[in-house]
Amino acid sequence: MPGQPMQVYEVFRREREGGPMQHAGNLLAPDPELATHYAREFYGRRQESVRLWIVPRAAIVDLDDPDLLQPPFDRSFKKPVGYSTEIKAKLAQARSRAGTEQVEP
Amino acid sequence: MSAQALDAPVRAALAGLLLAMADDEFVLGFWDSEWTGIAPLLEEDVAFASLAQDEIGHAQALYQLLADLEGGDPDELAFGRRPEEYRHARLLDHPRTDWAFSVARRFLYDTADAARLDALAASAYEPLAGVVAKMRREETYHLLHMHAWVERLATGGQEPRARLVAAMERLWPDALCVLAGVDLLVEAGVLAEPLAAVRRRWLAGLAPELERLGLPSPPATPPAGCRGPDRSDDFRWLWEQFTMVRRSDPEAVW
Repeated sequence: MPGQPMQVYEVFRREREGGPMQHAGNLLAPDPELATHYAREFYGRRQESVRLWIVPRAAIVDLDDPDLLQPPFDRSFKKPVGYSTEIKAKLAQARSRAGTEQVEP
Repeated sequence: MSAQALDAPVRAALAGLLLAMADDEFVLGFWDSEWTGIAPLLEEDVAFASLAQDEIGHAQALYQLLADLEGGDPDELAFGRRPEEYRHARLLDHPRTDWAFSVARRFLYDTADAARLDALAASAYEPLAGVVAKMRREETYHLLHMHAWVERLATGGQEPRARLVAAMERLWPDALCVLAGVDLLVEAGVLAEPLAAVRRRWLAGLAPELERLGLPSPPATPPAGCRGPDRSDDFRWLWEQFTMVRRSDPEAVW
C-alpha cells in the first residue's frame, strides 16, 4: 500500500470478564483498522480473549532511566515484604493464643 | 421442521442447497489456503489462512447437515466424490491467481454468501437455521476484512487498482452463480425468498460501494452451467491436491 508505512502496534488482552488487561505481544500493520483485524487473528481467534487494546507503539511513553528506576541505595524499606512477614508472624502468635491455629494451605 | 416432515421434492432441493453451500465453502477454503506462507505480509498470511480455515469449518457443519438429512458420511461427501460431482459455483472454479484476484473473489463470495445467509436465518428447517446463525457471526469479521482490502486495493495506487479491476471484470459473471437456482424451498419456508431476489438484494447493497470506488458493475444474468457438471482444469488440479492423501489410502483410519 503506497504511502502507508508499516507501524508496530502493541496488543493487550483480557482473558475473562473482570480480569486485568495484560500485554499479549505486538504486530505490524499499515493502519489501525488492519491492526485491529490482525490483533483479532493473533490474540482472539481461538476465543482466548474477551477484550483487546491495540495501541500504536509510538503512543507509548517509554521510561527506562536507571537513575529513576534502579537507584543505587538500599530501598528495601520501601517494600512491603518486611511488614507482611512480621504481621504474619504476629497473626500466627495471636491464633496460637486464641487456640484457632490454622494449617497454611 | 424436521427432515421427516419434508416432501420428497423439497427434501431433494434442500439437499441440493446444502451441497452447493458446503462445496462453495469447502473449495474457497482450499483455494485461499494456498496463500499460506506467501501472502503479502506476515500478519495477513495468518489472517487469510484463518479465514480459509473458517470456511472449511463451515463446510464441515454443512456436510454434516447433509449427512443428517440424506445419510452418509461428511468426510466421504467432502473427499470421496469425482471433480464433476462437486456443486460449487463457477466463481470457485478459478485458480488463486494474484492477491488482487483472491481478494476480489473472496469479496464477491463473502458479500453474496452474507445475503444468502440472511435469507436462511429464519429457515423453517431448524438444523439449518442453527448452523446459519453461527456462520453469520463469523462472516461478520470476514466481511469487515474483505471490505477493508477492497478499499485499500481500489485506492492504493495504479497497479493494485488495475489488478483489482481486471479481477472483478473477470469474476463478475461467475460470481452471480453463487445465487442462482432452487426456488422450491421458498414455498416450504426453508428459504425466505427466491435466490434471484436474494441476488438483487446483494447487488443493490454493493452498488454504492462499487460506485464510490469506481469498480466494475455486474452483468445482467449469470452464465449457464453455474454449478457444474463441467469443471475447469484449475479445479481438477485443486481436487487432485485436496484428495491426494485420502486417495493414497482410502481405508486409513485417522
